[in-house]
Amino acid sequence: MAKRLVQSIPLLLLVSLLSFCLIKLVPGDPAVVMGGSNATAAEIEAIRKNLGLDKPFLEQILNFYRNLAHGDLGRSLLLGQPVKDAIIERLPATLSVALYSMVLTLAVGLAAGVIAALRHNTWIDQSVMVVALLGVSLPNFWLGLVLILLFSVQLGWFPTGGYVEPAVNFFGWLRAATLPAVSLALLQIGLLARITRSAMLEVLRQDYIRTARAKGLTELAVIAKHAMANVRIPVITVVGLIFSVLLSGSIVIETVFSVPGMGALLGNAILRRDYPMIQGGLLFVATALMLLNILTDVAYAWCDPRVRIGGGAQ
Amino acid sequence: MKTMHASIHQIAVAGMAVFLSAASVQAEAQTQPFRCPRTGGDLIFALESKVPGLDQHTSNAGATRNVALNVYESLVTRDESMNPMLELAESMVLSPDGKTYTFKLRQGIQFHNGKTMTSADVMASFERYKRVGVDRSILDPVDKWSAPDANTFVIALKEARPLFIEALSSFTVPIVIIPAENAQAPAQQLPVVGTGPFRLEEFRADSFVKLRRFDGYKPDPRYTQVVGYGGNKRACVDTVTFRMMTEAAARTAALEVGEIHAVEDVPAASQKRLAENKAIKLARMETFWMNVAYPNFSAPPTDNIKVRQAMLAAMDFDEIMEAAHEGQYKLNPGFQFPGQQYFTDSGKELLNQKNRAKARQLLQEGGYKGEKIELLTNRDFPTMYNTALVMAEQLKAAGMNAELVVLDWPAALQRSQKDTAGWNVFFTGWITVIAVGGPQTLRQMAEPNPVYRPKDNKVDPAFMAAFNEVNSAPTLPARQAAFARAQRIALEQVMAIPFGVAPKTQAVRTNVEGYKPYYTPRLSNVWMTN
Repeated sequence: MAKRLVQSIPLLLLVSLLSFCLIKLVPGDPAVVMGGSNATAAEIEAIRKNLGLDKPFLEQILNFYRNLAHGDLGRSLLLGQPVKDAIIERLPATLSVALYSMVLTLAVGLAAGVIAALRHNTWIDQSVMVVALLGVSLPNFWLGLVLILLFSVQLGWFPTGGYVEPAVNFFGWLRAATLPAVSLALLQIGLLARITRSAMLEVLRQDYIRTARAKGLTELAVIAKHAMANVRIPVITVVGLIFSVLLSGSIVIETVFSVPGMGALLGNAILRRDYPMIQGGLLFVATALMLLNILTDVAYAWCDPRVRIGGGAQ
Repeated sequence: MKTMHASIHQIAVAGMAVFLSAASVQAEAQTQPFRCPRTGGDLIFALESKVPGLDQHTSNAGATRNVALNVYESLVTRDESMNPMLELAESMVLSPDGKTYTFKLRQGIQFHNGKTMTSADVMASFERYKRVGVDRSILDPVDKWSAPDANTFVIALKEARPLFIEALSSFTVPIVIIPAENAQAPAQQLPVVGTGPFRLEEFRADSFVKLRRFDGYKPDPRYTQVVGYGGNKRACVDTVTFRMMTEAAARTAALEVGEIHAVEDVPAASQKRLAENKAIKLARMETFWMNVAYPNFSAPPTDNIKVRQAMLAAMDFDEIMEAAHEGQYKLNPGFQFPGQQYFTDSGKELLNQKNRAKARQLLQEGGYKGEKIELLTNRDFPTMYNTALVMAEQLKAAGMNAELVVLDWPAALQRSQKDTAGWNVFFTGWITVIAVGGPQTLRQMAEPNPVYRPKDNKVDPAFMAAFNEVNSAPTLPARQAAFARAQRIALEQVMAIPFGVAPKTQAVRTNVEGYKPYYTPRLSNVWMTN
């Protein structure tokens, strides 16, 4: 694991370099955004100077890495606060909604996939798959708005948006985070259900399952103990992927529900060309995804002795 | 020269005179200054844009103004009719030579940090603005400023400028007064300390800004009500929470269920539903946004005046505005709105011509050979995109090879400002440009930085002569006549195309009283009944 961590450092540096270069290549800069359409060229140039954007490219990139070496991701040009603080401020919102959404995804997605596999080619299977397909296909902004209209405006069960810190008011957080978490989960449940179903179908045809049934085990024991053990690997892969999507934040869902999370932060930074924020945010997301990959590999090894023996996850 | 000096003084006083007459009308109806009928509560106001920061010197974002103009104040500001008025200044005297403005400050004004405002703070604020302020060119005519005593601030101009106070009082990026100890703050890092009726309690970027009533606030006793951005302001609610809710449907839903008390913007599609809701009041500002496009004078084929005139001749503004503003619009015969000091319909026959035959004739005269006309727009603002889309179809129908170039807003903006190639028409919207008055509007089309990018930024001499007259003529009628001339030239040469004007529709819950829509939300003298 330590080796994997060390190996990931050059990759992260490459990500930061690429993001630095790419964002500079995109036309439009923060001075233009701050000045607006009515600012004169001289005023835009003055803003650029204020923000230090007039410095040579090499100087800017060297400054970036010098600061990075000291753990400083720079200061957001438009928020006026350190990038690190901005990320730390928004991470709990993204993380808590992502975890909530993950719990919902796992509970419903796994159950739906297993049930569909066990009732293969019945109306239950087909219904689950149709619903799963819908979940994958529906545009998430539309889904979010429909949930708001139904559960907030019509039924009044949940607030239309916003975020409450769980440490301050857990039930307030639960109410505020439910609709965004459900919106995110509905998109992922379909994917997980389909993967679980196909993995389960393959496993259920295996000889060892037939043997388990032949020796008189209950169907629950066959599924829970023997079948699920081999379904875990593909499921872990998908769960890792899903969590990486949730963790990097959903710009759309965070915008619809006014959740001050990482997705909205990065999305706005890109729209406003807030260079340090984009670089810092992307570096953070890349680091998180890399750690998540390592954790996924560790989970493989934990679930599958063959991976451990083969040294797949060190 | 003497007459000019006198007139400058009259101009400086004229704005006040206009206001004072308004104040006396109010005084008849209500002799007592405003008192909050009820105090307390947290007023939650939903904004349609994210607040990028609260450094009012260095941001011209509307979202910054929405919050900051409840926190900060200026020496001079604008009244309800957009005329200059005094705010933190007790008085303003113009020297006989028209070059020196002496401001006496109001006494006992406190900053949110408890410090009493003096002329040193005013001077430091001007110095910071000169260093980092977005609209620092406002101060270009200034030779020097000084603070001869704690209560006096003096601005000496290099030469007499009749419209200096008009520029100084602009609310686009106002020169708000901050404590001297904060004046060294770099751009976007200004501590949020002003003299306004609300002070900053918490700013959670991308989420909300919470303001709290400033108990040390001293309302302006010269007035009885809020007037424009000045007047007798009182914070009736304990706190105001500006929630940033960029999704229109979610914002409207939150208003309907009572999670928020007011919204900055209601889309046309939701207005009928909200109007039927007895718990909600709609409030509309009829003239808010002017839908504008400007051709590129440097890039072929729009460097050819005949092609530009053909474009103008071909267009049906009703079709364009209908699509751009969901049916909520008025056509406007120029660059100012009716009721504004410089309003004129000079050249209106050049707008909304719907004459394809004339367009084809002009194209033939101009030797147009089917060169591509690139309409540079963006999808961040659907209004601009829809305007470009309909305009492209209308140009095609008149025989022009129009093509959309769609970038995101910052990229499109930068291309229009930096490049003279890659675009022929740029789409935008003017709000403050129009609101702050005729001379400021013309500045967009005049040297040294005309938006339509003529070669070497050299503008038509006749236009510049009219523009200079607008800025220097001694009497208002003379300036108005010069403005009418300038507008006609601008339309004849198609320097900018004013398609029409769209309203701003806001909404509040019925338990919110005293709210009147304006260019930015004014939350003084607004109270909640329960």
